[in-house]
Parts: sequence; C-alpha cells; structure tokens
Amino acid sequence: MSRDDTAHPEGPSAYPQAAELELRHVSKRYPGEREPAIGDLSFTVPAGEFCVLVGPSGCGKTTTMRLINRMTPLSGGEILLGGQSVLDRDVRKLRRDIGYVIQQIGLFPHLTVAENIATVPKLLGWNKDRINARVEELLRLIGLEAEGLAGRYPAQLSGGQRQRVGVARALAADPPLMLMDEPFGAIDPINRARLQDEFLALQAKVKKTIVFVTHDIDEAIKMGDRIAILRKGGMLQQYDTPREILAHPANDFVAQFVGADRGIKRLSLTTLSEIKLLDPARDRAGARRISASASVRDALSVLLTDGGRALAVVEGGSESGGDGGEGRLLGFLTLSHLERLIAEEYEQDRAPGEGQEPAPAGARGAGA
Amino acid sequence: MSASPQLAAAGPVIPHYGTQSSQCVVHNHLFCWDWVEGNWSSVLWPALRQHVYLAVVAVSIGFVLSIALALLARRWRWTEQPTILITTFLYTIPSLALFELLVAPVGANIYAAEIALVSYTLLILFRNILTGLRDVPPDVLDAAEGMGMTRTQQLLRIEFPLALPGIIAGLRIAVVTTIALATIVYTIYDAGLGVPIHSALGEGPFKTELIAAAVLTIGLAIFADGMLVLIQRALTPWARARRAG
Repeated sequence: MSRDDTAHPEGPSAYPQAAELELRHVSKRYPGEREPAIGDLSFTVPAGEFCVLVGPSGCGKTTTMRLINRMTPLSGGEILLGGQSVLDRDVRKLRRDIGYVIQQIGLFPHLTVAENIATVPKLLGWNKDRINARVEELLRLIGLEAEGLAGRYPAQLSGGQRQRVGVARALAADPPLMLMDEPFGAIDPINRARLQDEFLALQAKVKKTIVFVTHDIDEAIKMGDRIAILRKGGMLQQYDTPREILAHPANDFVAQFVGADRGIKRLSLTTLSEIKLLDPARDRAGARRISASASVRDALSVLLTDGGRALAVVEGGSESGGDGGEGRLLGFLTLSHLERLIAEEYEQDRAPGEGQEPAPAGARGAGA
Repeated sequence: MSASPQLAAAGPVIPHYGTQSSQCVVHNHLFCWDWVEGNWSSVLWPALRQHVYLAVVAVSIGFVLSIALALLARRWRWTEQPTILITTFLYTIPSLALFELLVAPVGANIYAAEIALVSYTLLILFRNILTGLRDVPPDVLDAAEGMGMTRTQQLLRIEFPLALPGIIAGLRIAVVTTIALATIVYTIYDAGLGVPIHSALGEGPFKTELIAAAVLTIGLAIFADGMLVLIQRALTPWARARRAG
C-alpha cells in the first residue's frame, strides 16, 4: 500500500489491491466562517467497496472528498488510507496513489489521449515500455483501443470518450483508492446511463476502493455498495447499503432525500434471478419473455403495460428489460405472485415506525 | 530623373558612391540594383547583421525578464499592478528621448541601445505571458495538482505549454516592434539598418540606399514573424486539433 509497491517493476499493473479508507472525527473549518463546512464526520469504506457521498449542495460532500487527497487541508480528525494517516505521507506521493476524476475531467488539452493516461506513471518514473504497455491495457479496458484514439487530442473526442479517458488516466498507476467528483455530471442522460453501466462493469474487474460524489440519489443507488447521505455541515444522516436506505430511511431528511418513490426504486435493486418464481413446469404458452438479469422494477413495468399477463423469466441476456432471447426458462412471474412476494418480504422486514411502503421481493444483502 | 551635369561634376554626393558608378547611379534612377550589389558586403549586410543582433538580444532579454515578472505576479498578485504601471510608463517614453536619456548614465554604446529596446518589449511580453498563464483552465490545474504534480511540474508540463499560443503571440508583436524601433538606434550608436537609412536621408536625392535598407527592415520583420508562426505550429499541434478527422 505504500508508493514503493506502486513502482513495482514487474507487469503493468503490479498493484491490484485496494485499500481501506477510514475517516475519524473529520472536521473542516474555513477561516472567517462561523459554521464548519464539516463538523464531525466518521465513516469507513472497506477495501474494494464503492462508496457514494450524496446530499444537497453545500452538504460538504466535495469538501470531504478533497480532504482525502489533501487538496483541501484538514482542520481536525484523521483520515487513514490503508491504516496510515494521509497527513503522514508526502502529499505528492499520496496523490499519485489516489485516482482523481472531476466533473470537468480536466484532461490536458496539449497532450494526446495516450500522454494524458501516462501522466501519473511518468510522475512515478516508470520506464517507457511499462508505460506503453499500461496505456494499451487501459485503452482496451475502457474500450477505446480499436478506434485509434491514442494519438488524438482531447478536443477531438466526444464527451463520453473524454470521460472514459479521464477514468483511464485516474486508473493508470493502479491506485488503491479512486476519488470521483460527479464524474458523469456533464454528460447527457442517455450517455450517462451507458457510462455508469460501463464503469460498474469496470469496477467489477478492478475492484478499487471508490469514493464517488454526486447530488443525484438515483445515481447513488445505482452505483454505490454503500451510500453516505450528508446534510449541511457534513452531518452524516445515514451510511448504509442502498437497499437499507430505501427500506429503512434513518430519518425524515433521508426519507425526503431518497424520494417518495423509494418503494419503486428499491425494486430496481433486485433482479429476477434473485426472487422465487412460479414453477416453470407448468408452461404458459405465449407468455412474454424477460431476462433474469432484468430488475423487478423493469418486470413490474412490463407487467403493468402488458395488461398483467404472466412473464416468462429466462436465463441470459444482459440488457435490462430485454426479452432474454432463447435462454432456458427459469419460471414465471405474475402481478399477483409479485404482490404475494412483496407481502412476505414486508412481514419479515417490518421496521418499527415504518409501515406503508412496499418492500422488494426476496431482498438480500447488497452485492458487496 | 537624370542627374544634372553640375551635380555629377561636383563630386560624389551619393553615399557609398564607390569607384565604379553605373549608368543607373549616374542618372539617379529610383532604384539601382547594381548599387545594392556593389555595396552589399560593405554597407547593407553588416547593417542587417547588426540589426538582427540588436533585435534578438533585446527580445531575448525582454522575454526572460517578462517571464520572471509574470511568475512573480502569479505568485504574489500584488506585484502585477506595479509591474504594469512601470512597463507601461517605459513603453510610453518617446523612443528618441529614451535613447538620448540613456546616454548620460550608460554612454553612447550598445548597452544604452539594448536597454532602450528591452524596455519597450516588457509591457507586451509581460502581459501576454501572464494572460497565457492565467487562461489555463482551472479544472486542468486541479487535475494536475490532484494527480500529484509539484508546482514546478505543473508550471513546466502544463501551464507553459498551454500558455504558448499567447506567449508566442506576444513574441510576434515584440519582435516586429523591436525590429522597427532598432532603426533609430543609430542616433546613439552606430549600428543597425538605421545607419544606411539615415545616411541616405541626409545625402541628396539618391534613393536606392534608403529603399534597400527599408526593404531589408520590413523583410526582416516579416521573416521573423513568419518564423514565429511556424514555431508555434510546430510546438502547439493540439491548438489546431478539432474534431475527429
């Protein structure tokens, strides 16, 4: 976890392990301001987990992120990366160990895509061959190798391509921690969803510890293993899995922030492969097919638009809501069956003081 | 247009008349190419070389000083206004007066000439360099710092390269004005293309020397400007890169 490991001479990515991040009673005060930007914030992101900081503007989420790589100096408390205080490390070396992606991306306009990606490896003094191998590996990882983009300048790229290059640049030295500040904020909704899916697939491969800042609760639910919901002054309202936050908001602020449709949102966290289906032995001719990787929310939507006819859940198919093609039949889903599952779930899951929201069928622990 | 017999008889009033006078010179045509050929190595070429030297030294020193001043202004913002004030003041001093004023403390030598020329480059170069550095997008700087670059690395790898178009734009103006201004260095020091221009002005109706020296001055300015454009193109390929080809 020290920087010496990063400069390991063998292989382009000799530093695969993620590091745990721990914030202990962190505070930030700006001179001349009465209220602290962050009062007393503590939470831990286990190694390899995707943590989303979310909250309204002014809640201190970006400040929190910038405290970690010391872009903003800490006023009090401690931040530990891999068990070592970030203050004990040389600030340049610390930052070279932390992938950093910002909303405007900040690609260097005078450097090519390949040179941009090579920035941190160059700072770390890798040799040319190792840098070239790593750049190629990353271009492949983000799916830009085939398009011959390595020699282009940022001005010649589309917004989505720039964003991917920004992520590749942050990943270049295989950092144990990634900090991402609204990285998809400036991208149009259609491309944003695609970039989010791509990034989740990427994270499944690279398994970094990630601190991801957004003001968009839907993005937080989609991306995070854990979500930290902050309120003005960096007050942590709830730190939990998306499922728990949607099922059991800790207070009114969280309930309001996640929205009145949290019941529906929760359904999007469960895929059809995770729930009990009706027996596939009783074939129902003409049932519409849906992939088991689709979410319960998507299935509900199809059921509602299809007049409540049964759905045939089949294996395979990756597109959420896709028809699943010719995969093996796993079972059937009807509106009344879904209703039954939700009722069962609700009985098991009843929380004190909560009552009216539907709970998702067969909810299990979050993926992490 | 032809010279009068009396004038020709009165002796050589034409500067650098030489021993071999052509028909063109004798008849005082507007421009005598053979005069240029005859006097190239003794008059025009040395003047041109001196002129290039004057301009190159002045712009180089001015450039280094301006970079230092711009870095100061970036580091300590309060130094910007005094620097602008002083460089603007220098820029507004009438050039003939400045050359003369420098003779007393420095002497009528090349140092006085260069000091005057340098002082006229500072305003243009300082402002362009500072603007170029300040125009580097803040997100680019934030990314550079966040990736662990030191201040010096940010300056050398990011800020200066990105400020280059602005810096070279300033250099182009400075070079052209310095080349023009160097023609009056002759008033205190015997060097540059101002020398043949002055002698041609002072000595009669023969215009070839004046035209040749003026054309050389203009040509030098255009050539230097063109070179800087080429240098900029070579150094900043990214500035022209737009959209995928």
